[in-house]
Amino acid sequence: MAELPKSSGARPAESKNAVKHYFENHQKVAKSTLQQLLHQPLTTAFTCFVIGIALVLPTLLSVLLANIEDINKHWDGSPQITLLLKKGVPRLDAGVLAESIAQKQSVSTSLFVDNELALADFKNRFEFSDVIEFLDENPLPHAIIVRLSPTLTVISDIEQLRDSLLSLPEVDSAILDAAWVQRLQSITRLIERAVWVIAIMLSLTVVLVLGNTIRLAIENRKEEILVVKLVGGTDPFVRRPFLYMGLLLGLGSSIIAWCLIHWVIYLLNEPIEALALSYQFEFSLSGLTFVSTLFLLIFGLSLGWLSAWLAVRRHLDEIEPN
Amino acid sequence: MINFEQVKKSYPDGFEALRNVSFNLSRGEMAFLTGHSGAGKSTLLKLIMLMERASEGKVSVGGQNLSNIPRRQIPYFRRHVGVVFQNHRLLFDRSIFDNVALPLEISGMSQRDIGRRVRAALDKVGLLSKEKLSPIQLSGGEQQRVGIARAVVNKPPLVLADEPTGNLDPELSAEIMKLFMQFNQVGVSILIASHDLALIHPLHYRVIELSQGSIISGAHNG
Repeated sequence: MAELPKSSGARPAESKNAVKHYFENHQKVAKSTLQQLLHQPLTTAFTCFVIGIALVLPTLLSVLLANIEDINKHWDGSPQITLLLKKGVPRLDAGVLAESIAQKQSVSTSLFVDNELALADFKNRFEFSDVIEFLDENPLPHAIIVRLSPTLTVISDIEQLRDSLLSLPEVDSAILDAAWVQRLQSITRLIERAVWVIAIMLSLTVVLVLGNTIRLAIENRKEEILVVKLVGGTDPFVRRPFLYMGLLLGLGSSIIAWCLIHWVIYLLNEPIEALALSYQFEFSLSGLTFVSTLFLLIFGLSLGWLSAWLAVRRHLDEIEPN
Repeated sequence: MINFEQVKKSYPDGFEALRNVSFNLSRGEMAFLTGHSGAGKSTLLKLIMLMERASEGKVSVGGQNLSNIPRRQIPYFRRHVGVVFQNHRLLFDRSIFDNVALPLEISGMSQRDIGRRVRAALDKVGLLSKEKLSPIQLSGGEQQRVGIARAVVNKPPLVLADEPTGNLDPELSAEIMKLFMQFNQVGVSILIASHDLALIHPLHYRVIELSQGSIISGAHNG
């Protein structure tokens, strides 16, 4: 009879097989853990639903956020400055000025609005336009509508541009419709912050709920764990099924969350479209992009794994044959 | 195979389970460990399994000083020691085949080799035809034979048994002992803790007797 080997170190010829068997074992454990979870469909579904719902809120808010940022980027009403020119500035000069403003880097387009045309437009649009007939002369000045480049999003930069335009000799006043930009930015910031707070709190809930589920699973399989440890199972071997359990529950929860999110978006879209229309623009919530879906999946999986790991650390090492 | 030198095991509450225990078990030897319950039989086996560590003295198994084995290495050490328990500790959620296959799964053997080794072990204990059954469908004696198959399936050089016949009638107990003797004949070292003197005395193996944590007879060969 040979001496007991000092460790289990595989012989070189076997090391390739050892790797293969390692993966075989992973596959087997993953499969049997899945079977175990499916063996108790109600319990598993219930757990996944609880976690799924907890994942919905932060994900939904981040979808909303992405949509708002989308408005920020693509909405036709990018910030604009209306320049009212001084009385007496000739039409030709005003046109040249509009062209030279358009050359500026922070400006995307600049449109010269003739005061005669503006007046005609005004007459067409408003019922009380008859009043204008009583005026001796056109009260409207020439105007230039300056659309800012979409890259210009910081309020202070926009204001700086407005000031430089205001200092032009032909310009009488400059109206910056920046209020909505500011509001949108504050709303975005608020939601961003809320997403973080909610995400952190709900992640904590997920870790606690999943951790408890895994703890119960460990408790249920205490005898098995003892036997495995007694016949030479290493800690990673003992932990493996529970880590897979965490991963699989996380995966299931992500899938449920994905479905719930699309259902909620479907429910919200009709009223949102109606609301947007009342502000004269077309808008609807878009679903999860491929990247967000991937993110949701990874988020669910890592929360599952983390919860399992914490539960296993906390409870599995306590189970020692004694 | 097993060597105890002045081994003492005491617990935090002051209870001394073993006092200055010295004995050895040679390679390929089979011996019995007896004594009343509480005499220290289980503690002694636990020290060999590294379920517990000695408070003082030196325990070595297969020439390896157990106090030099760090916690992380314990699983690898245990793969070379087969253990049979009184309550056999079978897992009822899986078949007999899977119960016996467990130590091989753990050591990362291929499925094909596992099948061969498990059937060979089940054949030796006479249960080859029942591999697909659940342990719950077996009698007490058969369950214990499955426990033995699991202990030897890894071909360990040393097998320990803690009251393996504790719950069995004399006839079944004799069968179980015969199994251990067969394994001993092919070179496996075997140490069996048992208080069933009527069963073990006729077998003419060395009997190590413990009383209140000390060995009172049979400490050395011959």
